[in-house]
Amino acid sequence: MRNALPTLRASRGWSQGDLAEQLGVSRQTVNALERGKYDPSLPLAFRIARLFERRIEDIFEPGQGDT
Amino acid sequence: MSGATTDRHATDRRPTVPGTQLYGMYMLAIAACLIGNLVMRVGMRAGWLPGSARVAIGVLTVLPLIAVTALFWRMLRHDLDEMVQRVVLDGLAFAFTVYVPLAALYVNLRTAGAWVPRLDPPDLLLAPMILAAVGIMIAWRRHR
Repeated sequence: MRNALPTLRASRGWSQGDLAEQLGVSRQTVNALERGKYDPSLPLAFRIARLFERRIEDIFEPGQGDT
Repeated sequence: MSGATTDRHATDRRPTVPGTQLYGMYMLAIAACLIGNLVMRVGMRAGWLPGSARVAIGVLTVLPLIAVTALFWRMLRHDLDEMVQRVVLDGLAFAFTVYVPLAALYVNLRTAGAWVPRLDPPDLLLAPMILAAVGIMIAWRRHR
């Protein structure tokens, strides 16, 4: 799954650690999310969307084979 | 995405490998079991350890493992985030699914009289731990 997390995070001037802290996950998880290596659970996706004041589908979009 | 890797939290105290502390405790607890097993064997062979003492050692040296198991579930449910949970569970699933057919193969080959290395109970105890470590490493690499 592709996502706009790196851009959104950069737009707020946050480090991966900052974002991880706000989401209540490890920095490794944020790194894996940004690199598309890990797809978040629905609750985590909602937390991310709420944090950036976007809809989930504005942040995450299915990659090839996800649809 | 250079900013993604250069962060200000280089001193983040979270473990970089999932469950490393827990795995270390597990290994210590298993070491206690193995030491207990060794003491029982030596004592039995030398004849200075009565049966009741052997049973006591056998039970007591497993207690740390039971405590670590309780800690494991607590840590898994409360202390690890969802991706790390996934990595640990993937690792355990790998260990179980590989261990069972390997153990079945070993038992069958031994029953068939084929030459297989003689495995003691301590070896059988360590095998799932080693497989779990391998499984966790594989799962971890998949998410990096």
